[in-house]
Amino acid sequence: MLPVVVVHGGAGHIPKERSDLSTSGVCSAVRSAYALLQGGGSSLDAVVEAVLLLENNPSFNAGCGSVLNMKGEVEMDALVMDGKTLSSGAVSAVRNVANPIQLARLVMDKTSHACLTAEGASQFARSMGVPEVPQESLITEYSRMRWKKNLAPDANPVECQMGKMGTVGAVAVDTDGNVACATSTGGMLNKMEGRVGDTPCIGSGGYADNMSGAVSTTGHGEAIMKVTLARHILFHMEQGQSAEAASDLGLAHMKSRVGGLGGVVTVDPQGNWAARFSSCQMAWAAAQKDTLHYGLYTGEHFTQIIEDHRA
Amino acid sequence: MSAVLVVHGGAWAIPDEMGPASVDGVKAAARHGASVLKSGGSALDAVEAAVRSLEDNPIFNAGHGATLNVDGEVELDAIIVDGRTLASGAVSCVTNIANPVSLARAVMEKTSHIMLTGKGANQFAESIGINTVPTDKLVTEYEKKEWEKHKKYIAGVMQEFNTKWAHDTVGAVAVDCAGNVACATSTGGIRNKMVGRVGDSPVIGCGGYADNSSGAVSCTGHGESILKVTLARLVLSHVEQGKSVADASQLSLQYMSDRVQGAGGTIVVAPSGQWAATFTTERMAWAAAVDGELWFGINPEERLKEKLSQ
Repeated sequence: MLPVVVVHGGAGHIPKERSDLSTSGVCSAVRSAYALLQGGGSSLDAVVEAVLLLENNPSFNAGCGSVLNMKGEVEMDALVMDGKTLSSGAVSAVRNVANPIQLARLVMDKTSHACLTAEGASQFARSMGVPEVPQESLITEYSRMRWKKNLAPDANPVECQMGKMGTVGAVAVDTDGNVACATSTGGMLNKMEGRVGDTPCIGSGGYADNMSGAVSTTGHGEAIMKVTLARHILFHMEQGQSAEAASDLGLAHMKSRVGGLGGVVTVDPQGNWAARFSSCQMAWAAAQKDTLHYGLYTGEHFTQIIEDHRA
Repeated sequence: MSAVLVVHGGAWAIPDEMGPASVDGVKAAARHGASVLKSGGSALDAVEAAVRSLEDNPIFNAGHGATLNVDGEVELDAIIVDGRTLASGAVSCVTNIANPVSLARAVMEKTSHIMLTGKGANQFAESIGINTVPTDKLVTEYEKKEWEKHKKYIAGVMQEFNTKWAHDTVGAVAVDCAGNVACATSTGGIRNKMVGRVGDSPVIGCGGYADNSSGAVSCTGHGESILKVTLARLVLSHVEQGKSVADASQLSLQYMSDRVQGAGGTIVVAPSGQWAATFTTERMAWAAAVDGELWFGINPEERLKEKLSQ
């Protein structure tokens, strides 16, 4: 059963012309993370690797390709968590870094804190020698077009939000049975400056605990926060629910209690996994026992053998 | 049913010379919050009023009296949660605001977001006409001296100081006559924290949580440990499983101590009016207004009582 890695590229409504890009993006991220796990890498390294690749892929709302805030600027949030020690690192509203997930990992590894925000996070990045990148390098033509479109007085912000909630995330279990999660996002389109969503909030955007499992969430951030979705799902698993049943219970609770839609990827320490969503779509992929699993629409589940390139 | 309000002034090794003022402060805040409930205010109104009173009191590390970060600046975090709708508002790393809890409430009520941070939070404050105050107004002589003193220590020693000393977050929980619960938490964070450090206080499920179906919690103590175990949410998950609020608090704080070696404190109310104030640190100043009586304490096992109307 071990190792296993599951990634998502965001829950929401993905325009048809972009859906192939999303699918190939999550599949290639999961392949790289799985190769790392097979080579003896930790679940922590694997989830950071997967999310880093998704951040670098302009098809997703994280790192390069992030949505723009009201002022047309990029502010990003990220969280990583180690299920062995419950250590975590997060950054919120950080600017001018290519890979917020790496900065979150540095917060975890190099400081006594769990979260750094805004300008303080940038100062820390500089002190660690993380290269500062121009904002332009994070902005795609597509994200600028969507930002402009949403500025129009007749824009429907809710519809636009659903069009791209492509937060990215990953969960994994390594061969030692350690779990980890990582989540990264550009947030929501046309958000206020300084808006922090669920992603960097431990228990909401993600949670990992070797005693129960790991979850990374995506969807309507404010709803996810209200129900602390990741922690909520793991409570169900602590009570004996499977990864899949717990994920469904968490998403159903979020829908009935606060009217929010979203998606999650979940694993337990034994290697059982789930990719579940209440939104129209979620690009997801998983790798286990040399098999790649992936899908985009509800009920979709394709598989493919992963060739072993190590030989 | 009768309304209940509980406040805390932070769980830490409160030095003897600060004891009486801390107890007076939580008692005053509890009376203030209780008067809001008595005049028909909601649980939400009451926790905001109680926390404002604690923020305004320079003895506590929130609002006026907050600790300084490594650059000698004040950066404040706060959260408020409405148990009826699960709506919440939070600010992190906000500067020059006297009452961050009220700004957090404005985020909840006037934006579609839950949390604003840094400069963005200050811009929002300005846009809705909340006055800014100069940093000097928030800094006490005591804090300036402590900060100077601690600056001389090397980082390793500081860390030990941080876990033992300066964690006096403030908070309040309440249930009103309609059975609605709410929580609020506010803090200056830990002394000599890095610029931009966000602790547990503004993070929903960690510094506080409120849900009419189980209860409301406000947490204090070692922030990074509280985050690791999502302490507020953990307490309520035990309540959901049928534990009393006192047992749920004890179990959760014990778990935090066993699993991540962190000490702290919690205050909890259930919609039934059941309440608890629990801590694993040396001391926590707390007060509870229940049925015309004011319960309070600062040392372990201490439960003193006087008439609420004095």
